[in-house]
Amino acid sequence: MARIRIENVEKDYGALTVLHDCSLEIQNNEFIVLVGPSGSGKTTLLRLIAGLEPISRGDLYFDDTRVNNLDVSDRDIAMVFQNYGLYPHMSVFDNMAFGLRRRGLAKLEINEKVRRTAELMNLQDFLERKPKQLSGGQRQRVALGRAIVRDPEVFLLDEPLSNLDAQLRVQMRSEILRVHRSVDATAVYVTHDQVEAMTMGDRIVVMDNGRIQQVGTPEELYDRPENIFVASFIGTPAMCFLEAKTNGDKLLTDGGDLPLLPDHRERIGEREHVTIGLRPEHLLVGEGRPTVSGVVEVVEMLGAELIVHFTTGSHTLTVRLPRGEKYRPGDQVKFGVTMDQLHFFDRDTGQAL
Amino acid sequence: MTDITRSGFRAKSKFGKTGGKAVQYILIAIALFWTLAPIYWMLSTSFKSELEATRLDPTLFPEAPTIANYVGLAGSSMPFFQFFLNSVLSCLLAAIVAVIIAVPAAYALSRAKFRAANSVGYIILVVRMFPMVVLLAPLYLVLLNTGLLNTLFGLVVGYTTFGLPFAVWMLKGFIDAVPIEIEEAARVDGYPRWQVLLRIVIPLIYPGLITTGIFVLMEAWNNLIYPLTFITDINKQTLPAALVLTFTGQFKTDWGGMMAAATITTLPLMVAFFAVQRSMVRGLTAGSVTGT
Repeated sequence: MARIRIENVEKDYGALTVLHDCSLEIQNNEFIVLVGPSGSGKTTLLRLIAGLEPISRGDLYFDDTRVNNLDVSDRDIAMVFQNYGLYPHMSVFDNMAFGLRRRGLAKLEINEKVRRTAELMNLQDFLERKPKQLSGGQRQRVALGRAIVRDPEVFLLDEPLSNLDAQLRVQMRSEILRVHRSVDATAVYVTHDQVEAMTMGDRIVVMDNGRIQQVGTPEELYDRPENIFVASFIGTPAMCFLEAKTNGDKLLTDGGDLPLLPDHRERIGEREHVTIGLRPEHLLVGEGRPTVSGVVEVVEMLGAELIVHFTTGSHTLTVRLPRGEKYRPGDQVKFGVTMDQLHFFDRDTGQAL
Repeated sequence: MTDITRSGFRAKSKFGKTGGKAVQYILIAIALFWTLAPIYWMLSTSFKSELEATRLDPTLFPEAPTIANYVGLAGSSMPFFQFFLNSVLSCLLAAIVAVIIAVPAAYALSRAKFRAANSVGYIILVVRMFPMVVLLAPLYLVLLNTGLLNTLFGLVVGYTTFGLPFAVWMLKGFIDAVPIEIEEAARVDGYPRWQVLLRIVIPLIYPGLITTGIFVLMEAWNNLIYPLTFITDINKQTLPAALVLTFTGQFKTDWGGMMAAATITTLPLMVAFFAVQRSMVRGLTAGSVTGT
């Protein structure tokens, strides 16, 4: 049982503040993903939770105990490191048993726990091997096994899949989720890959520039991004943006005029300029809708579908189409817009309207 | 035309290749001669009679090889075995003490984030910059006042003083090469810092410990000035100092006997060097390789 509460936490390195006013509450047994580009502060936040770095300002609670000054070795956490951090001079068995020995468990019990975990991680045949005799995927599984064998209250994972190839990554993703379901622990998972975040997290924390941008379920982040950063970071292909000027009941854009619905007017208020956000699936082929037009720039064939990038004035828009549509670079195109799905952002602050 | 040019070019490049190789071998030969000639001269002289060793036209090979010098050593009134034992004991102890003290110091310098870490590191190294002789007088006073003068342990203190800075810096290099995540993993596993040092870092830098120890040992073994100054009792003297004291007289030097003794002095060092040669090479390059 562990609930993690982060209150106004900040972190300085010398004169540089790398985390600004981060507050977050993580529920017991939740799988939460910290996602953001490199330098966004996600790993720093994870290391603060682990106790590997001291907190400069703010408070950190495990359940209702303040743990700011609790040494890392006294927090009941387990961590999986990006480059595994296995003990090179120990066998797989000893790597997993190392933490249990510290807790003074009986030899038989350690044996039993390690063997059970090894089976769960499919490592039973490698227990006598040293880390250097294992493949990348196997090492990753040892690192995971070492974490779960301890049966910790809090599980911290720092980009654990970034050193694996694409195929193995997908496989390990579901393996981690399966393991998380089988143990009773709160998990904090750091990644820069938004697909990983979307597929794994109960809730996702999007970070940028040392600040938490938005916290929410994958659906919330996708459907109701709070600012331009979150909107552009979540989703592949990414959301596209189009500058627009309001004129009576119209939105004037480079790609043509769009009607201004009453709901839009309410959201935009008195603003004259606004940024429109368009997801690729909200542009459609066919008649009967207001359209944006432009010139095809790149066509990406993904097998089941086509991704077409086209430019309207200074903006590039992306549309997702079923296979079979024929487009070539240079073609003049026109796509219908699902008007009730538009996102609006303040042009100056980037906040969603 | 093209054929001729091409073959001509090839011939030239072939010559360039062999030429380069030749220069390489010549340079290696010079370096080898430079290092091995004194050792050969020592060995060869140790097998010469007294007369032959001091001839005005020295012989390259002993004309009448004799082991008289070695026999002389064994039967001499001087306790050579005792000298040997003194050397081994004091140097080995100095190496062990230096490494034991250097490990935590190097660990702190390598991992600590305190502001003065860098300057502290350089201050330690400054001791190395002094000529050995500069430390002689203060060390003498320290040993005099602690009653350690004319004892083997006092000698160990002297050797350690000079060997420690080097040991700290060398070990720091080894510890730097241990990825920090391994230590952090152990911390997360619940181990306090000192246990991480004992159970994770030390086993991982084991070759480095041996290499550093050997370096300190070799340096101590060759040290002449400290035993000559700190030890007044001939029975407590080390080999190098004993060689100087016993074979060089005011009017005559027993070159053959001295070289025989020198051979015996050098031999253990060579054995030690070849024994750790592999881990030494690994040790010296450890910092250049990432990962484990």
